[in-house]
Amino acid sequence: MIIEHATRTRPQTSGSDTAGNEPDRTPVLSTDVLPDDFLSSVFVVVPAYNEGSTIGQVVRELRATIRNVVVVDDGSTDETGSAAEAGGAIVVRHALNRGQGAALQTGLDFSLQRGAQYIVTFDSDGQHSAGDVPALLAPLFANTADVSLGSRFLGSAIDMPFRRKMLLRCAVMFTRVSSGLRVTDTHNGLRAFTRAVAERINLRMDRMAHASEILDQIQRSGVRYLEVPVSIRYTEYSKRKGQRSLSAIRVLLDYLFGRWMP
Amino acid sequence: MTMFQWIGLPLLLVLLSITLAAGVGQRITRRMTVWWSLVWIAAFAAIARPEITIAAARLLGVGRGADLVLYVAILGMLTGFFLLYVRFRKLEQDLTRLVRHLALHESGSSSHARREHS
Repeated sequence: MIIEHATRTRPQTSGSDTAGNEPDRTPVLSTDVLPDDFLSSVFVVVPAYNEGSTIGQVVRELRATIRNVVVVDDGSTDETGSAAEAGGAIVVRHALNRGQGAALQTGLDFSLQRGAQYIVTFDSDGQHSAGDVPALLAPLFANTADVSLGSRFLGSAIDMPFRRKMLLRCAVMFTRVSSGLRVTDTHNGLRAFTRAVAERINLRMDRMAHASEILDQIQRSGVRYLEVPVSIRYTEYSKRKGQRSLSAIRVLLDYLFGRWMP
Repeated sequence: MTMFQWIGLPLLLVLLSITLAAGVGQRITRRMTVWWSLVWIAAFAAIARPEITIAAARLLGVGRGADLVLYVAILGMLTGFFLLYVRFRKLEQDLTRLVRHLALHESGSSSHARREHS
């Protein structure tokens, strides 16, 4: 099991500079270094629930570099599905809301059925940058890793609320103790893995505890993983919609129960 | 007989009859029929002959017969809640698998289906 940190990092920034401009989100790596036949075997899975206001833009940004964008509409009651379709995504719809973990697993199953060789997971609320995807894929293409995990603590976390930062630090420590995994960001939805890894993932945690479950399964399977700096943008929209700090306790209990239940 | 016995004993006979009828009509499993029948019979005995609970309490080192009944009832309910929770979790997972199956089935027949990569 190899643990590496990418040698090239984007300068750490938080908030805007003195001129009030947003920090530079220019991709560190461009898709020009990745061949077309590799990119055509990449599927990006975007679980979405009531993200009608952001999903269209997210899909269009992704489609600029990756053709196969799969949005799993997790029983949304707004125009998420149609907005995603209008942006050019393949939309898979859950008839009922089952949670992000469930939607992610559906997206993985769909992508594997369609012949994906590499799968990227990406959030639907606009926090992630499509420009980070090539940097996640590069180690997989170079066969130096089987899993790339995005880390905001290696990259940049713009306008991260203090309470969220502390909670995530606790989650990192908990993960190190419970699964022995040494990562800097345990709850980052931006990841990439090979088909072989995706085939071994079987998420039973439907709701938010799936993030810990994925890391657990990666650690148990002994595959090569590394962390890649990525930027996370905390907009007012995403802060309002994001997991409330108290619900993190529920995530923890859900994960602990699920880990030891048959 | 006390007022409580006049109310409790017929009630328990009714519950026992309903349980047996449900078992015969196969609305509940044989195991559940036997289990719940035993529960109603034990309750009937405890109410009809309170000295049974007193003797049992002494045997187990618990203070009073009523205390024993309370402890057994609480333990039984906690066990029941736990087993129901495990069952509930299984149902949730089954529901997710069904929703996933439907979603993948529907997307497979949509116009967005892609050519299989070799």
